[in-house]
Amino acid sequence: MEETKTFKDLTKEVIERGICGKCGGCISFCSAGELNALEMGENDLPRYINEDNCQKCGICYLICPQTDTLNAELQEKFGWKPPTGYYQRITSAQTTNKEIMTVCTDGGVVTSLLSYLMERNLINGAVVSKKIGRFARKAIIARTPGELIEAAGSAFSGSLHLEELGGKYTTYTPILSTVKSLEKSYLRDIAVVGTPCQINAIRKMQCLGVLPAHLIKYTIGLFCIENFSFDDFARGRLEKKLDINLEDIVKLNIKDDFIITLTNGVAIHVPLEEIHEVARPACFTCHDFSNEYADISVGGLGSPDGYTTTVLRTKVGAAVYDETLRKGYIRERTFEDVEESRLDKARMLAKIVSFARMKRMRAKERLLELTGGEAIGRKA
Amino acid sequence: MEEKPKAVLVIGGGIAGIQAALDLGDMGMKVHLVERKPSIGGRMAQLDKTFPTNDCSICILAPKLADCFRHPNITLHTLSEVKNVTGQMGDFSVKLLEYARFVDEEKCVNCGDCVAKCPVKVPDEFDMELRKREAIYPYYLQGVPAVMTIDRENCLYLTRGVCRICEKFCTSEAIDFEQKDADAMLNVGAIIVATGFDPYDPSGIPQYGYKRYRNVIISLEYERLICASGPTGGHLTRPSDNRPAERIAFVQCVGSRDFKNNPYCSSVCCMHATKEAMLAREHNPKVKSCIFYIDLRAAGKGFQEYVARGEQEYNISYIRGRVAKITEDRDENPIVWYEETQSSKTNKMTVDLAVLATSLMPRRDVKELAKVLGVELDEYNFFKTDPLNPLDTTRPGIFVCGCCREPTDIPESVAQASGAAERAAETVMR
Repeated sequence: MEETKTFKDLTKEVIERGICGKCGGCISFCSAGELNALEMGENDLPRYINEDNCQKCGICYLICPQTDTLNAELQEKFGWKPPTGYYQRITSAQTTNKEIMTVCTDGGVVTSLLSYLMERNLINGAVVSKKIGRFARKAIIARTPGELIEAAGSAFSGSLHLEELGGKYTTYTPILSTVKSLEKSYLRDIAVVGTPCQINAIRKMQCLGVLPAHLIKYTIGLFCIENFSFDDFARGRLEKKLDINLEDIVKLNIKDDFIITLTNGVAIHVPLEEIHEVARPACFTCHDFSNEYADISVGGLGSPDGYTTTVLRTKVGAAVYDETLRKGYIRERTFEDVEESRLDKARMLAKIVSFARMKRMRAKERLLELTGGEAIGRKA
Repeated sequence: MEEKPKAVLVIGGGIAGIQAALDLGDMGMKVHLVERKPSIGGRMAQLDKTFPTNDCSICILAPKLADCFRHPNITLHTLSEVKNVTGQMGDFSVKLLEYARFVDEEKCVNCGDCVAKCPVKVPDEFDMELRKREAIYPYYLQGVPAVMTIDRENCLYLTRGVCRICEKFCTSEAIDFEQKDADAMLNVGAIIVATGFDPYDPSGIPQYGYKRYRNVIISLEYERLICASGPTGGHLTRPSDNRPAERIAFVQCVGSRDFKNNPYCSSVCCMHATKEAMLAREHNPKVKSCIFYIDLRAAGKGFQEYVARGEQEYNISYIRGRVAKITEDRDENPIVWYEETQSSKTNKMTVDLAVLATSLMPRRDVKELAKVLGVELDEYNFFKTDPLNPLDTTRPGIFVCGCCREPTDIPESVAQASGAAERAAETVMR
């Protein structure tokens, strides 16, 4: 049997190449399992706390979204097909809850889905990100619908798509701090809202059946072009370029371009190419725009203001969406006739496909530069 | 001239198989006790209490487990299956497949360090999938042999060649990934079959909503929920929201006495429902239980008195009427719809938890074993017996006891086991 690839290989092949997405998957696994070999280091990159603690189990390597070893298995498991993965249906919907509507980014579908799951006791908590400073976010476990809306107020209004503005990918960490108490009780389930790389890591963990992903019952994935790392340098550049003060930003969103809404109500539209320079390098090797392995993927792209484009992928996801709709937590966009509805869905899909293609192409090119096109960790 | 007594094979390490093995061992006969699970104990080990005495099930079983383990005449073959039987009464050749445990039974001290570090989480079969366990695990807390087992289906080293964390944390060096499955040949004079039962899967009766409604569970799940060593530590809480269950409906004859499913009576359900209702009340005096029955069959020793005690001391309502359907309200409370046959009125009752008394059925793969043994099954796949030779199968030298013969309670299984042991001994000593 070939040598097991360990965190050392992960360091060499992912972290040193500058493509670590800081999703925290490796750390969450290592600390949830009480192996305690890894921690979040400078710039949120994973590193050894104590190399002697590393059992060289090789699991961190396998679950990393940037390694390819388990991807084929994931594709098979989820019936993946080009160009945007398997899905059952695409819809455009919005929340029926006024309170959620005032704080959400698009149509408030995510918060409504989570509220439904919570009120029906289908989950005991949801991992969402909450804004803790202008450019800092922290993942929290919301345990009540109230906490959910509170988090939505900051997290989702800040940016549904640009989750983790500060590059603080701590999404998994809060799961860990509570994993023990959750594990002791039975039938404890949680939902996670995440970017494609985060959902990818979760799905890989579930493929292996390892903790803490066994607690995750539902995954809601956000469309994602890239995330941004607003360190001081990048901030300075962006401020200069757009001639704005970042302190004035109230809302960031991506639809066809990058939309910055300022405190005075002015919305600045920036072509996506122009903001790539502040994107995190890891995002350039990511293939996945539409969160292809989530139960439900959501984003603003393709829907008018006030609506969320919702892609129902897995059986579990579709069932939850249908129940949320049936129980009146959300409503779908209505059209005058069937033809119009059909056309609109086709338009929505075409947009998603074009973004997905663009991202995949970009990743392919970047991987070519990095490795000569070879996928990382793929067995020969 | 005295001939050395030959050995007897007992298939199935539940209470029936254990009792048969102990009786034979005590008679001075060599016994091979074969169990396909990692530990012996069987269904009785999963029960919380036993009727009609409300004794703790594992407390009365554990000494027998230990006796089996220590008995000089009994050889345990856990994780083993009978693959082939040739020969005839008095001289059978039996081929066993002994699966690798990947843990050295001599070295493992059952400390649990490996379990604490194993990163894999899969549903636990012993706890009726109400809890997750690791890929290295003790089959159950009091299981015998008291050693860990690696689950080959889920171990990341055995399936994907990574991990080996347990090996690194085991201070006894008991993990042995080099172990291989092995064949073993036994020569025995007689065989006792005691393979027990599987519960009926009530998804076949969709109007009861099992698996669709979270607060509709089956009796074996209830036993694990109310058991102190179970997934909730013995707190009887509902699966949907962990709220204590205070109004409980016991729905009898689920899959039994039902011409669409099993026409036979499962014989133990009236009593175990009574027991389960008593236990709930002992745990929480606010509990109100109703048992929905067709006929109350309390035909064993002390059983009728047990039911009377249930009614008088535990405030159990026995309602004569078959449940038509179960629905659910907004708070996931099951609503039981039934006809009260004494008044001919249809009625409904909202409860916190509905417990389905599922029929006892032969093991799902019993046909394979019957083929290997060369014995006949009856129309329901229980082992065929003759009324005047109730413990003899259709092949001389092969005997049967416990729930694989027909649904049978514990006292009766034990009595049958002793009978089967005697029949086997007689064959071997002839």
